[in-house]
Amino acid sequence: MEKHTLIIAEKPSAAQRLAEALDHEGKPEEIREKGVPYFVAHCRGKRLVVAPALGHLYTVVQTQGRRNYYPVFDFKWAPRHVAERGAKRIRIWTELLSKLAQDADHFIGACDYDLEGSLIGYCILKYVCGNKEATARRMKFSTLMKSELEKSYQKLLPRLDFALIEAGKTRHEVDWLYGMNLSRALTLAAERWSGRYATLSTGRVQGPTLRFLARRESAIRCFVPTPYWGIKATFEKYGCAYEAKYARQKIEKRIEADTVVKKCRGKIGEIEKIGVKNLRQKPPIPFDLGKLQTEAYRLFRYKPRRTARVAERLYLKTLISYPRTSSQRLPSIINYRRILKGLSKKLVYGRLASELLKKEKLKPMEGKKEDSSHPAVYPTGNLPARALSESEKKIWDLVVRRFMAVFGESAIVQSTRVCIGVNGYHFYLRGRRVMKEGWMHFYIPYTRTEELLLPSLKEGEKIKLTNITRKDKFTKPPPRYNPSTLLNKMEDEGIGTKTTRADIIETLYNRGYIADERVRATDLGITVSETLQEHCPEVVSVKLTRELEEKMEFVKSGNEKRENVLIDTVTQLRPLLEEFKRKEETIGRTLSDAIRNAQVQERVIGSCSSCSSGQLIILHSRKTGKRFIGCSNYFKGLCRASFPLPQRGTAKPLGRDCKSCRWPLMQIRMRGKRTWRLCFNPECSSKEEGRKRVEMRNL
Amino acid sequence: MKCEICSKKAMNEYCKLHERAKENIIGKYNLWKTALNISWKEYLNEITKNPYTGSSAKELAEHLKQGEQEH
Repeated sequence: MEKHTLIIAEKPSAAQRLAEALDHEGKPEEIREKGVPYFVAHCRGKRLVVAPALGHLYTVVQTQGRRNYYPVFDFKWAPRHVAERGAKRIRIWTELLSKLAQDADHFIGACDYDLEGSLIGYCILKYVCGNKEATARRMKFSTLMKSELEKSYQKLLPRLDFALIEAGKTRHEVDWLYGMNLSRALTLAAERWSGRYATLSTGRVQGPTLRFLARRESAIRCFVPTPYWGIKATFEKYGCAYEAKYARQKIEKRIEADTVVKKCRGKIGEIEKIGVKNLRQKPPIPFDLGKLQTEAYRLFRYKPRRTARVAERLYLKTLISYPRTSSQRLPSIINYRRILKGLSKKLVYGRLASELLKKEKLKPMEGKKEDSSHPAVYPTGNLPARALSESEKKIWDLVVRRFMAVFGESAIVQSTRVCIGVNGYHFYLRGRRVMKEGWMHFYIPYTRTEELLLPSLKEGEKIKLTNITRKDKFTKPPPRYNPSTLLNKMEDEGIGTKTTRADIIETLYNRGYIADERVRATDLGITVSETLQEHCPEVVSVKLTRELEEKMEFVKSGNEKRENVLIDTVTQLRPLLEEFKRKEETIGRTLSDAIRNAQVQERVIGSCSSCSSGQLIILHSRKTGKRFIGCSNYFKGLCRASFPLPQRGTAKPLGRDCKSCRWPLMQIRMRGKRTWRLCFNPECSSKEEGRKRVEMRNL
Repeated sequence: MKCEICSKKAMNEYCKLHERAKENIIGKYNLWKTALNISWKEYLNEITKNPYTGSSAKELAEHLKQGEQEH
């Protein structure tokens, strides 16, 4: 049988794109074995088999032994189906790849060109295909466009990018050493004390992230506001009212504020000075993944992980370039004019793209960050072949408009400050006006251009003060992080990578360490963080994580060896874990208490309206064992408030109120059924509506 | 030793969080006194009902108020 070339792609949709691009007719044959797809294409008389991975097929595991001890420093790379319970499907995948490798004479790695992609390809070539990593070649591309894929196939890199692979391996192994040992230490400490198992986790990035969330939470919880006062004055000119602020933003004594109001009330103001400044606002820089996630959160309230997923789908649909990039640069090699010409075919972008195409020279505004693997996120110029989902439409539009905006000219915004004197006191009236739209024109509706227009005024002119009031204010606690600001904080602190940050935040939610969109560290989160801070502060220190990140960057650039980083990691971890073990009893007691409190808190629904002193909580009948909602005073015989609950599935408070009766809602989750919301108020009007609907249906 | 308010581990009478809240409450009193010329008791009342006061600070203010009443 004729031997083929085996091309390894990162996922099925990417494999399909690759096969379509390389097949001389653009119609590769799709074959499925046990549900696993692969594609057969023909290119210049050569048979190409494009087979997909399913993300990582291999992972780091403990070499041997049980899971009930630490420290563990022996590890190996093993298929995920061996290491993880829920990854049985991986076995079929690896078996198929192994079979396809037997009939192949050439091997090409075509996973995404970054740390993770390179590692995925390497593991398959080494472990599944039988040590083919040394002879395999590499395709490098930033978009899945036919032209780029063809070019990449013609100009194959002679070998895999081993520096990236080494860096990828180091990251996985270091993260495993930290995460597995520390998580196991926490979990076992709690389990040995309480006799009950509950998963607790921490890690090299998770620890410091939780630490600054816990610190912020404790600052908010302990916050005591201080009063201060402001003064709002309303002036009238040409029949219109204009609001001005007192020169001092903060007045610390109420008596002083009252004096200003008293002395100015009923007086006429005089314009003492008019200051006008023209501010030049440079165009925005192109999106790296972090900036795209931040902007998508600001505009659409999409959480970072959702944005990353949507961007990934747009990449697979060849509408945008590879999104997991930290570059803020757009090299001219991507051909700006070709992209704009492509975009101009869409009605909404036609006029804007044409305006840019008229320019003699297109030079994008660029940021400082570079990524050797990929440029910043940009639209490919392709238009959607099929209708996009609402979120895809929004993210694509955002990327397109941002791309056009970076070629725009600076905007000029005029800022005016009018100083008005009233009886010796000064007030400021501020105006803002866009004089030249520049790049903003391309970025509408995403620009923030709130204009504040002022009437024409002259120095020395009189102006009527129609109203003056004292504003009672208080200092506010530091704001809570939201998923976007948290992502920025992690980026600023230099912890995690563009691909892992969103997942780390998600893990913190899943562990119950944080809750809500305006991120609130839970009691459990605070306790875990404080315990780590008290007993092994190095683990939650940003410094250690940042140093490790730097070392891994050195591995990536070939200036450091993976082995050295691993030795350093073990040297740091060993004494930490020994110390942890010595204090295991104390730590276990604290953590067990926190877990128990968190479990109780999970059952609390709200305050009891019957007795006003207790709390409504999920209880279990002492006779029948059946669950119900009752007052915390129920078993004391002080309050008889109780409400029935479904006996099957899991029930937990949803954290939202019923729209009809304002009682708290419950979330009921049953296996194989859709999750539903329950208002447990028997008198709720929504129940009446439901009843009527059922009656109507029966009729 | 246990915190008088939440029963968590404490070095003295309060846990870490409530100890920090106590420092804040004591530290901010002078600012309130200068601003509004109010007594300690009035101050505790004010911060208890203020929406920006943190939950631990509120719990401590309530606890201090109770202590004052008992005295």
